[in-house]
Amino acid sequence: MLLKKKHIAPYAMVSPYIIHFLAFIAFPVIFSLVLIFHHWNIIAPMEYVGLDNFYRLFHDKLFFKAIGNTLIFLIIHIPLQIIIALFLAEVLNQKIKLRGFFRAAFFLPVVISGVVVTYLWQQLYGYDTGLINRILVNLGLGRVGWIINPDMAMPSIAFMATWKNVGLYVVLFLVGLQSVPPHYYEAADLEGASHWQKFRYITLPSINPTIFMVVILSTLGGFSLFIEPYIMTGGGPLNSTLSAMLYIYKQGFFFYHMGYAATLGFFFALIILIVIIIQRKVVERES
Amino acid sequence: MDKLTIFLHITIFTISIGLLGCSADRSSSGNELLYWSSNNTYEIEFARAMVKSWNKQNPQVNIRFQPVPEGQSSEEVILAAVVGETTPDIYSNMWQGDVESYARAGVLIPLDTLDGFLDYINERCDKRVIEEITSTDGHIYQIPWKINPIMLIYNEKLLSQIGFNQPPRTYEDFLEAGRRFHKDTDGDGYVDRWIGYAEVVVTWWQRFFDFYPLYLAASKGKALIKDNEVVFDNQDAIDVFRFLRKLYANNYFSLERLSARQDVFLSGIIATRFTGPWEIRHAERFKPKGFRYSFSTIPVPSDTLQNIYTYGDPKNIVIFNTCDNPAQAWQFLKFITNKQNDLKFLQMTRQLPRRKHLAKDSTFASFFDNNPKMIPFARQARYVKGTDSSPVLKEVFDIISREYEACVVYGEKSAKQAVRNAAEAARLIVR
Repeated sequence: MLLKKKHIAPYAMVSPYIIHFLAFIAFPVIFSLVLIFHHWNIIAPMEYVGLDNFYRLFHDKLFFKAIGNTLIFLIIHIPLQIIIALFLAEVLNQKIKLRGFFRAAFFLPVVISGVVVTYLWQQLYGYDTGLINRILVNLGLGRVGWIINPDMAMPSIAFMATWKNVGLYVVLFLVGLQSVPPHYYEAADLEGASHWQKFRYITLPSINPTIFMVVILSTLGGFSLFIEPYIMTGGGPLNSTLSAMLYIYKQGFFFYHMGYAATLGFFFALIILIVIIIQRKVVERES
Repeated sequence: MDKLTIFLHITIFTISIGLLGCSADRSSSGNELLYWSSNNTYEIEFARAMVKSWNKQNPQVNIRFQPVPEGQSSEEVILAAVVGETTPDIYSNMWQGDVESYARAGVLIPLDTLDGFLDYINERCDKRVIEEITSTDGHIYQIPWKINPIMLIYNEKLLSQIGFNQPPRTYEDFLEAGRRFHKDTDGDGYVDRWIGYAEVVVTWWQRFFDFYPLYLAASKGKALIKDNEVVFDNQDAIDVFRFLRKLYANNYFSLERLSARQDVFLSGIIATRFTGPWEIRHAERFKPKGFRYSFSTIPVPSDTLQNIYTYGDPKNIVIFNTCDNPAQAWQFLKFITNKQNDLKFLQMTRQLPRRKHLAKDSTFASFFDNNPKMIPFARQARYVKGTDSSPVLKEVFDIISREYEACVVYGEKSAKQAVRNAAEAARLIVR
């Protein structure tokens, strides 16, 4: 009996997490798997529809456009993020003046709310009164329809997302750079290697695990692109910034097609899984 | 007791406590009814006054009032309440477009089954309004309560400067006003003054402030969906798309979102806007010295100048089926929508009660004499339309919105093609 009493305490202690897990992770996942085979608008009873939601998904051109848009975002965002973050980390790893200030300054956007950042950039990107276009006009250049031109809107969002998140990756790269043994560079100096050669043949291979982590984190973050297009463009112009997450959200919470939204979510999760596996294989092979 | 049993007991106990905490304070019974109003300040004041007056006169049935709880939108809060079965007995801010879905889900009381309702509704509304609020199953689930007709506000001074002493009432006039008014004021090579502005976003409800009032005006109030059939594939819709396209193509309307700036109408950046009576309070408070404005009907093709319709943005009153005493709730509804209380509503909120002969009724005459800016809205009240009865109305507006963007804003397709594509896509979901 005494032994049994002793066992109560650990269960009691983990029960808050277990309850959280059951209520907010396990139950939603199981429930969404059930929803995949139903039509449900929340207020009326669920209606079993078999594979109807999948049939609709494979005929839904807009969803595939949204996936395409998300991939375009990733193709722009990830390399941009890595290049800028690595460059800044390399600079901030040198003994420069105000190094601490710059490290904090580049990290600041990471802790600012995504909504605030998006509103800020919406003003900067303004066609008529935006600061960027004003500068361009003062320089004698033409205005750019940053978020009103369908060809420019997604790259503009990708650039903004890079600005917002780059500080986090700078920190990760800084950690990676500082873990490279200094004697590698000393040996390279003795051999007369240039700065570029040291970067190419010592730094890059040494921080490969960090690059992999940054790619994975950026990919996951990029796939969940939502706040920026939701606030800045609503998915327009001409659906050019409609991300997959925004489309799923609209199906679920604008139109209350919960079964269909769950199906889209399930399908999209599979795509993310496949992309991550491919990335992992590629990076492993490279390293 | 084994470990698993103990664990299960703890888990179930904790979940039960949580769920008890989540259950709403909805203790209304037959003698006490819960009433939710909109959370607009003026409507809260009105609702409070009404409830106080009712409770004083009817001590046997107590009404408990609270504004609809805060949320991203009142529609979402109501939906959550329906799902959680924590709806109030009475709700007075129901968007007409949502009623059909709730009616089909069986969560609303069919009001036409209540004693005296049909006499009441025939006295309050004309046949056209009754037809509009009747659900597809033939029942009426809502009392048409208030409207905010969408009209054209215009800057009198700016229009007179370009030779318009009267507001532009036709497409032709409006385009001409646009041609004369749009200007590059700072000489940087870009237009920075436009005749009007509509939000260039694809959000479905934005079309209630541009396409839909223009469509109702051009078509004399035709439906988009009738008897579960898509019926907007017509010349009126094409004309509206063409008209709006010309505004954007010629830079008479701004392509850029202007909503984050200072008020573009009051600062003279635009000379007109499609808006409702709420604009009056705002303009009176913030207008610069010497600013003169007025309201006119929505522009129409030149052969449609009589009986110009618009969207009325109606909000109605419903009784949920969680109500234990619908008969008493109905008595309360009759009380807050009687003529005298409609007058109080008008005075306190500056929103129009949806009842016939509003502009001519002597009860309301002194209000309009003292508030002449409201007179155009009172006159317009006879020619307003709400939304069609369809459970997929939002999706249909979303489809229209996407075609609107492709045709009107970016000129990617012709008006005819856009309307046809919208109708085809809408037909797939309207069953």
